[in-house]
Amino acid sequence: MNTSVKIAEGLILKNPVLSASGTFAYGEEFSEIFDLSLLGGIVTKGLSLKPKKGNPSPRVFETTGGMINAIGLENIGVDAFVIEKLPFLGQFNAPVIVNFFGNEEEEYELVAARLDVDGISALEMNVSCPNVKKGGIEFGKDPNTLLSLVSRVRRATSKTLFVKLSPMVKDIREMAIAAQEAGADAITCANTIPAMAIDETTQRPVLGNITGGLSGPAIKPVALKLVWDVHQCVHIPIVASGGINTYHDVIQFLLAGASAVEVGSASLRDPLCFIDIIEGTKAYLKEHSIQSVTELVGKLII
Amino acid sequence: MKDVRGTVCNNTKVADDTFLLSLDCDLPDSRPGQFVMVKVACGYEPFLRRPFAILSNHKQTLEILYKVKGRGTQLLAEKRPGDILSILGPLGNGFSVPEEKRQVVYVAGGTGLPPVLSLAEDLKQGVLIFGAQSKDQIPLMSRISSLPGVELKVATEDGSYGFMGLATDLLDELTGNARGPVSIYACGPKGMLLATSECARRTGSRCELSLEEFMSCGFGVCSGCVVETIHGNKRVCRDGPVFDAQDILF
Repeated sequence: MNTSVKIAEGLILKNPVLSASGTFAYGEEFSEIFDLSLLGGIVTKGLSLKPKKGNPSPRVFETTGGMINAIGLENIGVDAFVIEKLPFLGQFNAPVIVNFFGNEEEEYELVAARLDVDGISALEMNVSCPNVKKGGIEFGKDPNTLLSLVSRVRRATSKTLFVKLSPMVKDIREMAIAAQEAGADAITCANTIPAMAIDETTQRPVLGNITGGLSGPAIKPVALKLVWDVHQCVHIPIVASGGINTYHDVIQFLLAGASAVEVGSASLRDPLCFIDIIEGTKAYLKEHSIQSVTELVGKLII
Repeated sequence: MKDVRGTVCNNTKVADDTFLLSLDCDLPDSRPGQFVMVKVACGYEPFLRRPFAILSNHKQTLEILYKVKGRGTQLLAEKRPGDILSILGPLGNGFSVPEEKRQVVYVAGGTGLPPVLSLAEDLKQGVLIFGAQSKDQIPLMSRISSLPGVELKVATEDGSYGFMGLATDLLDELTGNARGPVSIYACGPKGMLLATSECARRTGSRCELSLEEFMSCGFGVCSGCVVETIHGNKRVCRDGPVFDAQDILF
C-alpha cells in the first residue's frame, strides 16, 4: 500500500496529512507530544517581513461545531523564523512548508526571497490579506490582482509554491486558474470563512477585532464544495483545508479532488489527531484494497 | 504534556454550582498552578476542550474543582463514576518557590481557589485569604479550614461568613501589619488581581498571579489567549498561567 503523494518535482509527501498554518505555531509544542516525522508535511504559522503583534483580545470564540479566530497573524517575522525556528524543524523527516503573507506585492516578494533557503521544501502564500496599495481589497478577491501577485512571487523563489485561496470570493475557479497561470505548483483550498460573534447581553462584538474567521467541522461541507469546484478547472494538485477532523473527511476530500489535506482546528482540540487520521486513512485503503492513495483523487462516483 | 484517559471516581457538588471531580488517571507529575485541558464531549459539541487548574495530582488521582458556568462545565457536571474523559496535561508553568523567611500569603477569589489551594496544600505554610460572594459559595470548607500549617481567613461580600468585604481588604490589613514584604500568590477575578498587584507594589512584596482566560488549544500553538505584558504579548496557556504581577499590563 502506498500513501505517498507527489505535489511537485521537488515535493513528495509520504502521506497526504499535513498540519495547517496558524494552528501549529512553529512545531515546537506539538513535538512534545508526537514525532513530527509522522506527518506528510509540516505547515508553519504565517510569516510577514517584520514581526507582527496581532489583534487585541479576545481573539477566539467557540461556535457550534467550530470556532472563530481573530489572532491577527501574530508572528515573529521571517528573519527570526529562519534563524530561531527553522533549524529545529530540520531534525524531523518531514518536508517543511512555510506559510507567509504581505500587505503589498513587494512584501510578499521580499518574504519569499528570504525563505529561499535550505531546510524549506515549499512556500504557501496566504492571499486573504488586504492590499494596502489598492484600498485594502484582498489580493485573493480579484483574478488579475492575484495573477500579478503570484507571478511576482513565482519569480522570487525556486521553492514549490502553494497558493492558499480565500473561500469568500465570487467564483473560486477564477482564482484557482489565475494562480495556476501564474505558476503556482498547488492550490490550498481554502482558508477560514469570514465570521463574527455578538454578545447580546453587552450588545458588543465578542472579538477584539470585531470579525474573524470560522473554522472547524462546521465549514467542512463548504470546503468540500470549493475543492470540488477547483478540481474541475485546474490540473495542479489541490491541498484541502477546512474542517478535517477524521480519516473519513480525508477520504471525502480526496474523492472531491484533493491530493492532500491540512488539519487545523481539530489539532487544537486533539493534538494527537494527526496519528489517528493517518492510521485511519491507511486502514481505509487496506479495507478497500486500494494500492495507492492517489487512486482516490477526484474519483467521486457520480 | 500527555493525552491520558481519566476514569471518573467522584463528581460531587461541594458548594453552589461547584463540583469536585476526582479521576483515576496516569497524568505525569505536576506543579501547583499547572492545569489540564479536559474533553467534556466525544462529539463536536462543544468543539474545544476546557481548561481547569489541577487541585491535586497524587498517586494516580487527579482532582479538579470547577464551577458550572456554561455548556462545557454543565456537561462535565453530568459525568458519573466510571465515565472516561480525555485529559491533556500537565500544561503551563506553575507557581515558583517562595523566597525563604518571607511570610506566604495566598489570595483566592471565587473560581480562583483551585491553583492557590493546590499551592497551600503543597507548601504547608502561610495565610490563605479566600473571598466569595456568600457562605454558600465557599467550597471544601472543612478541607480549607484544616490545612496543615495554613491559617484561613474568609471574606464574603454579603457578610454571611467571616469578614464582610473583599479578600483584598484582608490582604491590605495583613500586609499592613506584616513586619516586611511578603510572598503573594493569587488567582481570581481581574479586579481582585489588580488590587492584589497594587498591594504588592506598595509593600515591596513579590507577587505571582495565575490568570484565567478562555483557551482554544491550551498548549501554546494558537495564540488565542495572549495577555499584554511589559515583555510584549504572552500566551496565558504556555508562558503562564502564572505571571509576575509587575509584568502584567492590566
